Amino acid sequence: MSDSALHQFRIIDLTGGIAGQYGTKYFGDYGADVILVEPPRTGSSTRKTGPFLQDDPHTEKSLLFLYLNNNKRGVSLDISTPSGRDLVFELMRDADVVFEDYAPGHLESLGLGYEQVRALNPGVVFTSITPFGQYGPYRNYRGNDLLYYALGGMMYTSGSYDREPLKHGHPQTLYMGGMIAAYATSAALFARAATGLGQHIDLSLHEVMASHHYAAPLMYTFTGAIERRAPKLESGSTKGTGFEGIVAAKDGYIGPTMQRGRQRPPFSVFADMIGHPEIADPIFETPAGRQENSAELDAAVMPKLKEQGKFEYFEKAMTEGWVAGVVQTPEDLLRCPQLEERGYFHQLEHPVIGTITIPGEPFKLPASPWELRLPAPLLGQHNQDVYCTELGYENAQLKLLRQQGTI
Amino acid sequence: MKGLLEGIRIIDSTTVVAMPTAMHIMGDMGAQVIKVETHTQTRGEGGTFADNIPPDSEYWNKDGNFHALNRSKLGITLNLQDPDGVNTFKELAALSDVVAENNRAGTMERLGLGYDDLKRIKPDIIYISNTGFGQTGPWRRYAGIGRMFELTCGLSQFTGYEHESPRRVGRFFFDPHVGWTAVFAIMAALHYRNETGKGQWIDLSMYQTGASTMGDVILDFAANKRNGGLRSNRHDSIAPHNVYPCRGDDNWIAIAIESDIEWNALCQAMDDPSWTHDDKFSDAFSRWQNQDELDRNIAAWTRTYDHVELMDQLQAVGIPAGAVLNGKETLTNPHLKARQFYEPVTHPPESGMGTRLYHGRPWKMSDAEAHIRRPAPTVGEHNDYVLGQIMGKEEDEILELHEIGVIGQEPTNPRPANQPVSLDKQLDEGSIKQFDFDYQSQLGITDHE
Repeated sequence: MSDSALHQFRIIDLTGGIAGQYGTKYFGDYGADVILVEPPRTGSSTRKTGPFLQDDPHTEKSLLFLYLNNNKRGVSLDISTPSGRDLVFELMRDADVVFEDYAPGHLESLGLGYEQVRALNPGVVFTSITPFGQYGPYRNYRGNDLLYYALGGMMYTSGSYDREPLKHGHPQTLYMGGMIAAYATSAALFARAATGLGQHIDLSLHEVMASHHYAAPLMYTFTGAIERRAPKLESGSTKGTGFEGIVAAKDGYIGPTMQRGRQRPPFSVFADMIGHPEIADPIFETPAGRQENSAELDAAVMPKLKEQGKFEYFEKAMTEGWVAGVVQTPEDLLRCPQLEERGYFHQLEHPVIGTITIPGEPFKLPASPWELRLPAPLLGQHNQDVYCTELGYENAQLKLLRQQGTI
Repeated sequence: MKGLLEGIRIIDSTTVVAMPTAMHIMGDMGAQVIKVETHTQTRGEGGTFADNIPPDSEYWNKDGNFHALNRSKLGITLNLQDPDGVNTFKELAALSDVVAENNRAGTMERLGLGYDDLKRIKPDIIYISNTGFGQTGPWRRYAGIGRMFELTCGLSQFTGYEHESPRRVGRFFFDPHVGWTAVFAIMAALHYRNETGKGQWIDLSMYQTGASTMGDVILDFAANKRNGGLRSNRHDSIAPHNVYPCRGDDNWIAIAIESDIEWNALCQAMDDPSWTHDDKFSDAFSRWQNQDELDRNIAAWTRTYDHVELMDQLQAVGIPAGAVLNGKETLTNPHLKARQFYEPVTHPPESGMGTRLYHGRPWKMSDAEAHIRRPAPTVGEHNDYVLGQIMGKEEDEILELHEIGVIGQEPTNPRPANQPVSLDKQLDEGSIKQFDFDYQSQLGITDHE
């Protein structure tokens, strides 16, 4: 275990949402001791979020919670009670990192804010994840993934010309925010090695999406033009329409392009690749010709693509150096030969959920690898460990705190 | 205050979007990032030029896309087809902490610049390779273009209007996310090096990075054999959760109600119309069941309001609402302004680029400097500085490298500048909403004499 990259750090994780728990997940995955602190009885809000094992919304059956919280230990604690506050403060005092996603000012009002912790733990890196950051006119605005897609600008340029703007069907802001919180925290820890001093990190989920969608503001600051959604079928468009968008194959959807390496070869080469040289036509040979005749081109190509299996197309095109995509289902991912050969999936044993396959590492860090050490904690699973063995509370005290509902 | 990564030197031998993003963030945080260009393929391809006019000279130094992603870096050119170029790269690697590259698997090894080659020169080097699918496996040679990973990682399975086919959202989804993941990976390796004195080769895969954000739906199949489908803008348990039209041309507001308290507040904000009393909308369950009708009713109400004013009104009474902002509105948004999210960069006068606003980072730190350190380098701008000051080469040695074509300040084989489509034509086609001739004064980036 001492071979893992981040084993020297202890993280107190007070987050309840996806972004925070996805961020601390990577600390746990690469070896840190992460202690997730959850409200007693109900647990983290991610425990109430699906999907659930057999659609049973039980505290221990959220598959989302399971995925986000492997490699962490878990305690339960009501930090709003004086005894709970004192307990969590003891944990924070000795931590390298505190991760939290309460509304701005909430932890301060409990005496658990950055300044209060720093007074006794000057090296603490205190990472706060909020919808709009710790200051600014929207500081107290409510946020969620849909709103970040809206206010970050991403939606405005996505979807049909004549329909409402569109977001991804999965809360990507939160996953990106978690990864950003993780790198920022890790960089702050790196600087601490030299200075001994920590840092308050103020992460805004709104700005996560604004960072991702930098291209539309860039267009305005250079040209004064406001980009909007794709107007019509447009060959060469990356906006999701035309035959170079996402189109039907025999058994699903594919993303064909006319791009091969960095070139855009004549259409006849593409027609050969898909096994239909007969649809080649001089009017389609050049990019300009394809642009001009895009409707005819789509009409010629799309029925041919629809006859092909999605992986048949994808593997042929990619093997021959074309840029291509295939819309994979979760089942496809679980059966993917590439992921299998890379050892991406792991078997996890969980006391309630049983044996289940879970995704692993986004990157290989061979000298200090990703490891599956612990299944996600049951609610309060490590109370005894942390409060008694590590903080020195008596068993009788633990029992009392439990009876009083603090733990 | 100092930058978090001061003292770290990084060779950035990367192109396109994902890895240049990682590298500029580390530069913003104070690392010395030296961009080593071996060709000029990504320069000018973006075709984002001042006033939408390709510059009549050195267009490769003036593309907005390149500047957005390569600020805070020094830049040198090295011809890696020439053994002297390869040797110079190795000499620089010997003085560096991190080398980043994003060529197809095997390319750097063929040049003699793979991890094993550099490790011999600098045993604790941290080497990060970003590829589409990783260094191993049957798909390792497949092209890794950012915008395809939305499909291949499974995100498109859920993205699109219900009853239609999947859609892309954004331009190159996952690219920046891969960049952020690269920063985390490099930081983890730096921590490991601090502890053990050892470097390593990080094998980053765009595919795995994207798939790792889909854990919940992968587990849903693993446990429940469910593949899911297109979700529009809706949520699997709460309603209303959608985007509604507002006053004016193509203006919208997003509203997401998570509780009865918020629902009651919304009813009050709408002035308690009679339809809200219908049993069809009386609790979370019925609202979710009847959300088509619910959405129509709300849309009829939002239609007469300004999207930003309505957001402010609704948020003031605790309702999660957000205006759908366009590229101009994000730049001028009062909240992003108060947080100085976009940073003005004044380019050198000879570039003719003036002052432009570039995106910052989604975080602030209490005790560390993070900001754009300098505009992106022109081709070979820091050849003399890097080879002379950092590597200690004599002036005549540098001159010789210049003469034999190992370094240079002009691309040897430039592709033509991407010709931007005229704004009038774009307006005509509907791919832009409008354009403002006075955009610089609207943004406060007019150059004062």
